[in-house]
Amino acid sequence: MTLTTRTTVLGSTVLGLLLATAPASAERILRADEVAVGEIDPAKGTDYADTVLAINLYDTLVYPKQGGAGVQPHLATDWTIDGASYTFNLRDDVKFNSGNALTAADVAYTFERMMAMGQGNSSLFAGVVDSVEATGDHTVVFTLSKPFAPFLATLIRMPIVDMATVKANEKDGDWASTWMSQNSAGSGPYMITSHDPQTETVLSYEADYFIEPVENFPETVRFRYGLEPATVRALMGRGEHDISSQWLPPEVYAGLAQDGASLVTEAGLTGEYFKLNTQRAPLDDVHCRRALAYAFDYATMAQLTQINDNTSTSKPMTGAIPQGLTGYDASLPVFQQDMALAKEELGKCQYDPADHPLDVVFIAETPARERGALMMQAIYSTLGFKVDITRTPWALLTEQVTAPATAPHVVEIAISAASPDTDSLLYAMYHSSQPPTWISSSYYKNADLDALLDKGRVESDPDARQALYADANAILADTVPDIYAYELLSPFAVRDGVTYHNLADPARTYPVSGFNMRFADISVSE
Amino acid sequence: MTIFRRLLLRLGTSLIVLVGVSMLIFCIARVIPGDPARIALGPRATTEQVEQMREALHLNEPLVVQYGLFMRDLARGDLGISLYSKRPVMTDLAEYLPATLELVLLAGLMMVVFGLPLGALSARYRGRWPDHLIRVFSLLTVSAPAFVWAVGLVLVFAYFLPLFPITGRIADTLNIPHLTGFMLIDTLAAGRIDGFISALHHMILPAFALALSGIGQASRLTRSNMISTYEHPSIEMAQAYGFSEARIAQRYAFRPSLIPSLTIIGLDFAALLGNAFLVEIIFAWPGLSRYGVGVILQKDLNAIVGTVLIISATFLIANIIVDFLVSVINPRIRLSENGK
Amino acid sequence: MKRAAYILLTNPLSIIGLLLVGTVFFCAAFAGLVAPYPEHAGAVINFAFANKPPSADYLLGTDVVGRDILSRIIYAYRIALGMGLVVLLIAPPVGVAVGLIAGYLGGRTDFILMRITDIFLSIPPLVLALAIMGVLEPTLLNAMLAVTAMWWPWYARLVYNITRGEKVEGYVLAAEVIGASRTHIMFREILPNCIPAIVTKMTLDFGFVILIASSLSFLGLGVQAPTPDLGSMVSEGTRYLPDSWWMTVFPGLAIVVAVFGFNLIGDALRDVLEPD
Repeated sequence: MTLTTRTTVLGSTVLGLLLATAPASAERILRADEVAVGEIDPAKGTDYADTVLAINLYDTLVYPKQGGAGVQPHLATDWTIDGASYTFNLRDDVKFNSGNALTAADVAYTFERMMAMGQGNSSLFAGVVDSVEATGDHTVVFTLSKPFAPFLATLIRMPIVDMATVKANEKDGDWASTWMSQNSAGSGPYMITSHDPQTETVLSYEADYFIEPVENFPETVRFRYGLEPATVRALMGRGEHDISSQWLPPEVYAGLAQDGASLVTEAGLTGEYFKLNTQRAPLDDVHCRRALAYAFDYATMAQLTQINDNTSTSKPMTGAIPQGLTGYDASLPVFQQDMALAKEELGKCQYDPADHPLDVVFIAETPARERGALMMQAIYSTLGFKVDITRTPWALLTEQVTAPATAPHVVEIAISAASPDTDSLLYAMYHSSQPPTWISSSYYKNADLDALLDKGRVESDPDARQALYADANAILADTVPDIYAYELLSPFAVRDGVTYHNLADPARTYPVSGFNMRFADISVSE
Repeated sequence: MTIFRRLLLRLGTSLIVLVGVSMLIFCIARVIPGDPARIALGPRATTEQVEQMREALHLNEPLVVQYGLFMRDLARGDLGISLYSKRPVMTDLAEYLPATLELVLLAGLMMVVFGLPLGALSARYRGRWPDHLIRVFSLLTVSAPAFVWAVGLVLVFAYFLPLFPITGRIADTLNIPHLTGFMLIDTLAAGRIDGFISALHHMILPAFALALSGIGQASRLTRSNMISTYEHPSIEMAQAYGFSEARIAQRYAFRPSLIPSLTIIGLDFAALLGNAFLVEIIFAWPGLSRYGVGVILQKDLNAIVGTVLIISATFLIANIIVDFLVSVINPRIRLSENGK
Repeated sequence: MKRAAYILLTNPLSIIGLLLVGTVFFCAAFAGLVAPYPEHAGAVINFAFANKPPSADYLLGTDVVGRDILSRIIYAYRIALGMGLVVLLIAPPVGVAVGLIAGYLGGRTDFILMRITDIFLSIPPLVLALAIMGVLEPTLLNAMLAVTAMWWPWYARLVYNITRGEKVEGYVLAAEVIGASRTHIMFREILPNCIPAIVTKMTLDFGFVILIASSLSFLGLGVQAPTPDLGSMVSEGTRYLPDSWWMTVFPGLAIVVAVFGFNLIGDALRDVLEPD
């Protein structure tokens, strides 16, 4: 025992000295970062970092369509839809990192595990899917409880896990949840080397992936969490960091670009919404809401989100629907400030602004949003509203928004579509059946819109859906449950020498937020 | 024997205090606004899923029952699952506590190594310019919050003069096997001198930022203790005998003043642990404090209770150790304290 | 008392302290007159002048929405001093009462009160305040409450130790013999002997309250957004380091100036009031 320990120590000393004297290894490394903690169990993760990890560690039946809208085949080569029954044929050449072949049984098991754990993206499938059955080695049938047109798109949120590996690491019926938060059991191009949810995840490339990586793809990826903007700025300056997160203030991107980094943006079906509380005076009156929307200074907002002459992090909106989703209409005029119309609408509003101060909330964790709030305060005071700004911690806000009667009048928030289907955005935000959460925090109730959204869930014809959602969009633009401030183009600073192909070339871009950061699609030269 | 009994007594009261802390923090954590289940599951979760999780976390039980369940699990060494990291809280604490302790211990060492000699120097040159200089410096260091020092040091020694790393505990290229979680120990255990140097290089700036106000505090205390011992008869005697100033300072004044200073340094441990919250944020140090802020903002009940308990326990243990050391070194302290 | 004033006014360090604290108080009291752009204390946007380094127009530069940093610092002193005053009006009386009662009555009361004190003392102060702020909405008043909750135990400890010593002194025993009430003995006989120590501690603490309050708001748990606050100005500014260093450095220095001033006075005061 002692002997072995000693030999190991001795061995590693020698190794250590060798490594210490060897020149920097020729291994290609990519270093990127995200603000939040990272979750590697695909049954638990939901946010941006989790998505990036999931697409690199795991594969899904379908993937957002490259350079377009909707989805494309991925693990599934093709599928047939028969009412509420979906039959998928799977590729037969895919192996998990463990060496096990990926089969239909894994798909059925993945679904079972996800629903049993009841966390993460399982809510997207709750009440939708009745059963999943492997009818052959590479054929799997999903039977829905009722027709649900957005189902195919939703499947991008179901990363397939290796049943044998998961089962081998299960303890006390925990679906291997402890093990899976330290290890990966997927078929993706990368595997977990080490994972610390608040520091960094280290991933290494797994050969034999069924899609060719790009030239000079990174063999090791260090995905870091919670770096301060100033830290990223300095690390990139020293050549110790490759791709920034999307959460830096505009000034920092400008500084990075000045120092030689390139800037790319991702249009990830994300809108920046100023949610108006339609259940609370004075915003329960549509005229007051319209007044606020007309008075909103879209031009200043655009200027505030401009990084430099070449790059902006915003695109003006034409309605509630961001580009790339069914129902989006590029031909509509963009929103513009019109004080005359604002005053006219205010005149029709049953409330006197002087008696109704507005409370505007921005999230403490995203201090840059204070600018938007200050801008509102300055403009709405000219309409006669007193605006109180509150910086609210995220946890507190999530509590406040559950009570519409006392929830803030205005909350500024970015909301992304969960899947490349309009339903995943509009239904969660505006359908009257939704529980009060921050996504639905305008508490909008409109029978006409409900009818359209319900129809959108059963209609499968693309043209009919386009018309349906265009109608929904028109209702939303007219009744103003939110001010559609801008569409968010998430910026990333990329170090000179690194190419983020999927965002640099629109033809290679995937339409959903987070799905572009496939590490094996990024080139890293020395 | 008396020392042993005293130790037992201290351990006993500390345990009572810890139970009290757990109750206090347990109540505080439960009234933090926000539904932990909803925050953990996200806005798209269905009402049923949220209810299911509330049930699983016993959030619908009365507070007393919840506390009872918590104590039962704690007795088995289980602090529950963190909703923030989605791992057992024990795993998180085991991973992050060493990083914080290592930082705090190095800062404590810096306090002693720099603070005591500065204080001694100040006392020896009482009323002359080195004394004034050191006093002003000491007072300045305690006049700024740790985060101001951290920002200042980073700005000067990492951004403008890139002498030190900005973040991380060790160079990326080094893979040191995880053993104790103390990077300095792990690197030595792995026989990696380069790793040890790299880890130390990463620690110096944050530890110094953390230590600065402590250095000032230690120096101030040593100074005033030494000045009061300078007025002690034994010193006057030594001066009468014509011993050299250096010898008097070192032997008759410095040593006796060491003990009260040590006691205070033990107490300052609390300040160090608290200030680590501020410093770790600036340096993105993967420690308990960063975790603590994260879990409070996420209303992660289990993790909040676990973090505060472990910090308080660390603090109580540190105080007992200091107390014990001091009474071993100098039994008179114990007597005089009892006499009061 | 005269001696104290004399020493304070002749010691160069305490004069500097008095000057610093005087300036800070003056700025806070007459912020509207002193600040070059008083309106910048509120919600003003001035994007054309955002991110400007120190210049003749903006002596300490501007922040990300173009507000004058000097003006905001001056107004932030109001918050900082108000915080110090409120905390030191509430915490010492509470702590003193607990310390006196526990120290004088002894026995079970002593045990219970002092264990409660220990509980508060064994959670690092900042952590306790942080936990409390997590519960409450982040307003100035709640921040004051949180800081007060962590402050009173130190006074309880201090007064407890003194009381335990005084309890066996002749004058207390004499009062007991003539049948004075417990309240009388505690508050009329013992308390006056604690006053010098309490006053010294309060002066020193004024600076520390400012320090802790700024730490809380640095962590995002302090004063509301448009209201200027030194801690949150530093924390907001760190995002723009190293390019826009003035957003961080000056508010940080402002904290040091105020706290340093109080510490200089407190130090001198201690030399006078507690000569050993």
